[in-house]
Order: sequence, then C-alpha cells, then structure tokens
Amino acid sequence: MRSLILKRLVQIIPLILGVIVMNFALIQLAPGSLLDIMTSEQQVTDPATLERMRELYGLDKPPVVQLLRYIYSVFTLDLGYSYRQNAPVLDIILAQLPSTLLLMLVSIGIAVTFGMIAGVIASVKVNTFWDVVISLAAVFFFAAPTFWLGIMLIIVFSVWLGWLPVGGMATIGVDYGFFGNIVDVIEHLILPSLSLGLFYTAIYTRVMRASMLEVFSLDFVRTARAKGLSTTRVILAHVYRNALLPVVTLLGLQLGTVLGGSVVIEAVFSWPGIGSLMLDSVMSRNYPVVLGVFVLSAVVVAIANLLVDIAYYRLDPRIRKR
Amino acid sequence: MASPSSSQSLDLFYRFARNKGALMGLVIIFLVFGAAIAAPWLIDRDPLRIVYRPEIWPFTNARYPLGTDSLGRDILALILYGARTTLIISFAAAFTATVLGVIIGAFAAWFGGWVDEILTRLTELFQTIPNILLIMTVVAVLGQTIGNITFAIGVTMWPPIARLTRAEYLSLRDREFVLACRSMGMGNLRIMVTEILPNAIPPVIVLGSVIIGSSILFESSISFLGLGDPNVASWGALIGDGRTLIRRSWFICAIPGLAIMFTVLAMNLIGDGLNDALNPRLRDR
Repeated sequence: MRSLILKRLVQIIPLILGVIVMNFALIQLAPGSLLDIMTSEQQVTDPATLERMRELYGLDKPPVVQLLRYIYSVFTLDLGYSYRQNAPVLDIILAQLPSTLLLMLVSIGIAVTFGMIAGVIASVKVNTFWDVVISLAAVFFFAAPTFWLGIMLIIVFSVWLGWLPVGGMATIGVDYGFFGNIVDVIEHLILPSLSLGLFYTAIYTRVMRASMLEVFSLDFVRTARAKGLSTTRVILAHVYRNALLPVVTLLGLQLGTVLGGSVVIEAVFSWPGIGSLMLDSVMSRNYPVVLGVFVLSAVVVAIANLLVDIAYYRLDPRIRKR
Repeated sequence: MASPSSSQSLDLFYRFARNKGALMGLVIIFLVFGAAIAAPWLIDRDPLRIVYRPEIWPFTNARYPLGTDSLGRDILALILYGARTTLIISFAAAFTATVLGVIIGAFAAWFGGWVDEILTRLTELFQTIPNILLIMTVVAVLGQTIGNITFAIGVTMWPPIARLTRAEYLSLRDREFVLACRSMGMGNLRIMVTEILPNAIPPVIVLGSVIIGSSILFESSISFLGLGDPNVASWGALIGDGRTLIRRSWFICAIPGLAIMFTVLAMNLIGDGLNDALNPRLRDR
C-alpha cells in the first residue's frame, strides 16, 4: 500500500513537467508577447518602463531560459504573477478554488447518488417499463448540452416560477446571519449543480446499469441464487459490490476534471470559480493564470488517480494480493 | 484479413437495425445532413444577415417560421446553416482524433519498449488537462476559425482512441496470423495497416461515433462561450446571443438547444447500434 502511494507520488513530477512544457510551448505560439498585451491594455508607452517590465518578467531572456525559470518557480510553489489582478497567480487561483470545489463536489454527489440508484433499478428491472424510462432519461440528459439545460432550468425555476436565483453564489449586499447565509448559498447552488449533475447522473446510470448486468450473468451469482439467498441479498451483497469498480474508475476520471469541468456552467450562472477565472484569463490572454490552472489541474488529476488506486485496493481483494 | 463480403455487411446492417434506437438515430442524422446540404437552396442568403425586426416569435410570421433572434436574424436560417458548421467541425474533429489515436496507439503496442513508454506517457499527459480547458486555450491562442476549432477538438480527444487501439493491438500482436505474416517477411507497417487494423478497427469505430457526439457538445460550448468562429452560423453561439433575452424571448435559446440535443442523441444511439452490430461479446444478449 505504501509503495503504491510512493510510486504515484513520484509519477506526479514528470507529469507536471510535461504539462508545463506542453502548455508553455502552446502559449509561445500565441501572437504578441505578454508585454504587447499589457502595453496595449494599460497604455504604457514609455520605453524605459517597458524595458524594466521586460526585465522584471524575464522576457529579455530566450524562451528556453524562461521555461526553466518557470519550472524552477513552480517547484518552489510560485506560479508567477498576474499583472491583471496585480496578485500572485497561486493566490488568485486559491481564492476561486472553494466555490468551484463546492459546485463540482455537490454535482458529482448528486450524480453518483442518483446515477447508482437509477442504474441499479434499471438493471434489476431490465427490459421493463422502469428500465425504459430510466434509460431514455439517461440518453436525453447525456445528449443535452449542460449550458442549455442550465438556461432552461433558469427559465422555468427563476423566470417563470421565481423560486430560485438566476445566478451568482450569494445575494449581494444582504447579510442573513450565519444560517441565513448558508441557506442563501444553497439556494444559489441548486440550479448550477443540478444542470451539471444531471449530465453526470446520465453517465453513472449507464455505467452502473451495464456493469450490474455484466455481473448478473457471472457464475458466482448463479451460485448465490442456487444456495437459496434472497434476491435482495444477491443484489446487494454479491452483484452491487462487484459492479462498483467501473463506477470508481469513472469517479476518479471525474475528480480529475474537477477544476475545469464547470467552465461552461460557471459562465451560465456567473459562478465565481476557477472556470470563470479561466474563461476571463483565456479571453484576456492572461497566460500566467492559464498556465497556473493547468499545473494545478495536473496535481488534482494525480491525486484523483491515487484515490482511485486506494479505492480499488479496498474494493477488490485480487489487487491486494498482487 | 479480407474485406467483409456483401453478405457480411448486410448481416452487420441487420444486427444494427435490430436496435430501434439506432435506426431512429440514423434517421435523425440523415435529416440533419439533409438540412446542412440543402441550406443554400432553402434559404439563399447569408444566415448572419439581419432580415427583420428582432424577437419575432416562432409560428407567427410565415416568412420566418422559427422567428428571429436578438438582432433580427432568421432563426431557421441560423439553424440550417448551423447544422453545416456543427457537422463539419464534429466529423472532421472526430476523424482527426481517430487517426491520431489509432497511429499513436498502434505504434505504442506494436513497437513496445521505450516507444510504448513515451507514447503512453504522452497519452496520460493529455488526459490530465480537462478537455474543455485545453480546447478553449488552443482556440484562443491560434485564433477563432473553423479550422482551428476542429484542430483543437481533434488534438484534445485522441487519448481514449489511442488507449483502446493500443489494447486491441496488444491482444492481436502475438496471434498466429500475425506470426504467419512475419514469417512471410512482411514489413512492420504493412502488417500493422493491412493485417491488424481491420481486426482492431470495429471497437474504435464505435468509440469514434461517440466522440462525434462529444465534439458537437464541445463545439457548441466553445461557441456559446464566445470563442467560436464569428463568421459562421453556430447553434451554440445562437444560444449565447439569446441568453440575455430569456425573460421575454426564451425560444431563442430553446430552439438551437433542441437541435444540439437531438443531433448528439442521434450520434449516441448510432454508437449503441454499432456496438451491438460490431461487438461480438454482447451480440446475443
């Protein structure tokens, strides 16, 4: 177990190096240097100031030197400086991180819960009315663009019914007290997490249903039935447990996209998270922030992979023996 | 392996057609293709041109059956021409991803050793970056044109194809027929392309059809965010433009969304049908 964790941790380093080199190269392709963008946006024309800034940002050095400098600074936990917000990139990202994590974790929670329940029901009642209803719903939600679903939910629940807020993460300028504020955030959270969650629910439902059906056809299930176990016990103790592995794999893949998965939904609901930051940074060519998000995302993926390994280890005794 | 004979492909089609959903998907895709091809004959003007007052409701004006958008552009024209953009980008992107993925996966499995090591790491590297973030960045860096959007989606979506191809090639690499080809003195490339590829391709095609569906979603998301090609009609961009008017004219957002959903739905259903037809393991469930 410990060697597994160590192995994964060592793998993170080349992965992050790869992400840095690849995205650094990509950004080098962009027309106009950081300085050109800054000068045009902030109307700096004084040559002496420009020269000082070029030196400050290391732009007077060749790209390879810039890259090596950047790699060095990343490994000292410095992701660079964003001139736009006038703050260190890491601080900016960390400030936006909690709201994205809240949105994504709630969405994934909705998806895993409802997806597994729906998948189990569909597989147990395979080829009946309920299976058809669940599978059809899954097919539709899997095909609907999340941003469109979000807008449709806003139209129904905010515009027509007036039950829930249109966007943002909290009502601006109002303090409802501690518990009131929590309720306020929850009200703002419902629609965005549902838009994202329904799409993911569709995926989990499909995977869970297929996985359950696969396990149902295996010999040990027939044995369990033959030795007289009740149907509920066969399903819960034998099939369900064994059908979980693909769901865990999917969950791991999804935890890896936790930073970027909500870009579009954050744009729809003006949710103040990493996605909004990323869109703003890409649009304004604020590349230090873009690069910073990529680096952090690689770290998150590595952690997610590690969690999947640990979950596999716990769920499947065969892996433990290896 | 010889190419499948006509009776074999007929057999494939019957198995595909046994899946009602897949047939329905095929019909929808044909309709979307029809709309895309017929667009210039049905409406012979630039879809981005302003033709009438903005925010005309659907079914209230015979000349503009689906109404007009926030600027007064014909929504029907935008939907028909938008079908072109969507289909061109999604099919070309999925094709790019499939070709890239097959080449990388096949080389990794066939040559093994350090080639496999490097290519597998490269695949993992691409999988660490959330797809939509990479697509956004590539489009923003290279410029907002159809070609660049296609390239961005294609170059982002290949890893699952590469992994699948690698697994297929690995399982076929040491079979007798491959050994026979080697002993006959066939070259690496020839065995990889003419002998193994036909056996490895069926599951790859299934995954490719799913990637077309995802590409449609990515294209519409990119356009929705305002990173699309401003010179062509796009379903996602239409939703983005109509977003500010949802209190009065919610139909501007609703209509293109339905178009996207049904097209993606159709591609996914076709994928399911192809899976039934091509995947022998699940064939007789």
